[in-house]
Amino acid sequence: MTDPTNKIREVARKLLQKKEVELIIGFEPGTSPLQATPCFIRDKEEVDRLIWGSFCSNNLATYLPKRQEKVAIVAKGCDVRAIVELIKEKQIPREQIIIIGIPCQGMVDRRQIEAELEGKEILKVEEQGDKLILKGNNFTRVINRNEYLYPCCQACTHRNPPIYDILTGDLVEEKATGQYPDVIQFKAQSPEERWKYISDEVSKCIRCYACRNACPLCYCQECFVDNTHPQWIGKTINNSDTFIFHLMRAFHLAGRCVECGACERACPMGVDIRKLNRKLTSDVKELFGYEAGTSLDKVAPLATFRPDDPEEFMLNP
Amino acid sequence: MKKEVNNWEPKIVAFLCNWCSYAGADLAGVSRLQYPSNVRIIRVPCSGRINPFFILAVLQHGADGILVSGCHPGDCHYLSGNYSARRKFVLLKRLLEYAGLEEGRVQFSWVSASEGGRFADIIARVTEKIKALGPAKKLVKR
Amino acid sequence: MNAKIIRKKDIASFLDSLLKDYEVFAPVKRDEVVAFDRIRSASEAFLDYTNSAKPPKEIALPQAETLFTYSTTDNTASVETPPPQDKLTLLFGIRPCDARSFLLLDKVFNGERYKDVYYLNRRAKMIVVALGCTKPGATCFCTSVGGGPFSSEGSDLLLIDIGDDYIVQIITDKGAKLLEDRRLGNAGEGELALMRTVIREAKESMSPGIEIDGLKEKLDKMFDDPVWGSLSEKCFSCGVCTYLCPTCYCFDIIDEGRDSGGERMRIWDSCQFPLFTLQASGVNPRPAAKERYRQRIMHKFSYCLDNYGQIGCVGCGRCITECPVNLDIRQVLTTLFDTEVAK
Repeated sequence: MTDPTNKIREVARKLLQKKEVELIIGFEPGTSPLQATPCFIRDKEEVDRLIWGSFCSNNLATYLPKRQEKVAIVAKGCDVRAIVELIKEKQIPREQIIIIGIPCQGMVDRRQIEAELEGKEILKVEEQGDKLILKGNNFTRVINRNEYLYPCCQACTHRNPPIYDILTGDLVEEKATGQYPDVIQFKAQSPEERWKYISDEVSKCIRCYACRNACPLCYCQECFVDNTHPQWIGKTINNSDTFIFHLMRAFHLAGRCVECGACERACPMGVDIRKLNRKLTSDVKELFGYEAGTSLDKVAPLATFRPDDPEEFMLNP
Repeated sequence: MKKEVNNWEPKIVAFLCNWCSYAGADLAGVSRLQYPSNVRIIRVPCSGRINPFFILAVLQHGADGILVSGCHPGDCHYLSGNYSARRKFVLLKRLLEYAGLEEGRVQFSWVSASEGGRFADIIARVTEKIKALGPAKKLVKR
Repeated sequence: MNAKIIRKKDIASFLDSLLKDYEVFAPVKRDEVVAFDRIRSASEAFLDYTNSAKPPKEIALPQAETLFTYSTTDNTASVETPPPQDKLTLLFGIRPCDARSFLLLDKVFNGERYKDVYYLNRRAKMIVVALGCTKPGATCFCTSVGGGPFSSEGSDLLLIDIGDDYIVQIITDKGAKLLEDRRLGNAGEGELALMRTVIREAKESMSPGIEIDGLKEKLDKMFDDPVWGSLSEKCFSCGVCTYLCPTCYCFDIIDEGRDSGGERMRIWDSCQFPLFTLQASGVNPRPAAKERYRQRIMHKFSYCLDNYGQIGCVGCGRCITECPVNLDIRQVLTTLFDTEVAK
């Protein structure tokens, strides 16, 4: 298995040297051993800042809309899917980006690790294949990274970038697409149970809009929450308004959400945001045969129609 | 078995497209066809004009049921408004019901300008369904 | 020193007795996230935590509060302000950094020219029992901004965990009054010595702090420095740092009305939101993350000093742990400190 870190650095150096791009967007180590952070490199002398690892979870596609310069971007499967949708929505021309694609083994959820270690501080992390070696004062703990993946990564069916200019790792095995066991399981509960679950989750929401701002596909200059004429929903933490905020944000992402999990990771209160998105993703696949971000040629499902679209749901006496 | 007298009358909001469904409702009236008076009609140019927020706002304000009705596919005055609407509606209905909203609170139909009887029938069915579901409580804003 | 002692096994009954006289807010754990919530029984309190996700500022400055309601009939209109709360509020188990934050908020809402009755009513009814930090978190930097893991600023009582017991330091008269009739024993010499060890070890375990002496003077000359661009490039203005910050207090005022009446409310707002400075003309003086992030730093580390004589940061570290892109304020301040000011 090739080491993506070195490959990414090599690619970045060449691209800057040949002036094929003005900017590289990638990851560098964060200020804690369990974090990586986005970095912006314009000088080829700085490419050794770039890394790849289990904590490169951010969706860097969020930095692309309306960029003026030519840019190369390190992108995992879900990130590339977001880029594909952004290109189709005319937020960034295809020619303006060079996609440094990287097949992803899933990102590790540092909060799961922190919760299990119950406040013990981790000072160093080493990655060896599937093993993560966590070292702190007077302790070392070895864990299997696959047991600590983000929920979105556990369900991921697009670990490999669907398109790319350069590939910096070996392609990985994919789960079969079109499987939504969590949606089926949730649907099996009664409407009351489902209502209670979602109401309880959104009651934790503090309307900070971090989910919206972290989402690469939420790029509206004025979000529906900001509208006052008309005021679609109230801005307080009233349960009804907050419920509708989450329903409608999910609806605005129908056929566009790439399930990168940026929303869940950004949420400071641990709200299960993707619950509603998953339903729409599974419906879009079932009804219209479409999966967001997998093809530059397929038109987004709500931007088109077929004369024989399903209408069993309608009242037709 | 005792039958309890239920004094509650549901409030139902119907968004009707101007060219087909609203005309159909008009025909029902002109033909003196009887249908429950629980419905309050809002005329829109096209079913494609319906923004999901309209439906949610109506639920927030306490409506017990919602009907959205447009032209039959192929007959849209604006050619494809109802086709776009059909895709939006299927996703919205499924999403609302997944989130726990009672099945049958929000309904969609096609009614043409000549289908006065069909309109009356649909209103009767929707009203009966909503009566059985009881007052809407879930999204009401307090 | 005027210190009492309470056995850990007695804390539950102590809290339960307080519940009779106060509305008690304590750290509560819900699905792995700790937040300050009203408790109805001592068993709900979760004290084995580093710090909460949301700061306790919302108890004095709620996320959403009604300023007044109005209603109309055919020929009259009436306006009503909500009655001030009459029950006493006890903030139990908050951290010294959060206790200190209220002192800055007090200066903002209790100014010479303007006194915010809503905030002041709540503060007047509030009593603070802080819990010292025997295990400061990796992202805590309170000592760099004038605070400390056992700082008593802003508290009425300060609890210090010494193993099987808590030392209870009495900081204010309000605190002393709370303990009247609760019959707590006095802390003995051995227990006080143990307390001093705990304090020393906790301070030694803290991550190295940052230098900010002289930072303000530097910042005041750096408004146009290009370094702000590179510092803030990864920020996507999500607003989490401001919502979770104990010393942030920006708010918006909104009206929610129907034909027959409505209410005017105050809700949290954030200078990091892109539309925060959007003017009616369409001009936005802070159009990008660069201007907004600069504003955040300048406000906390320069303007607050000018206006209130206090740094607008208590070093709680929430903005560091919760920032989705790991924009670390410690790193930012160190970079600014090390940047040569252009002539």
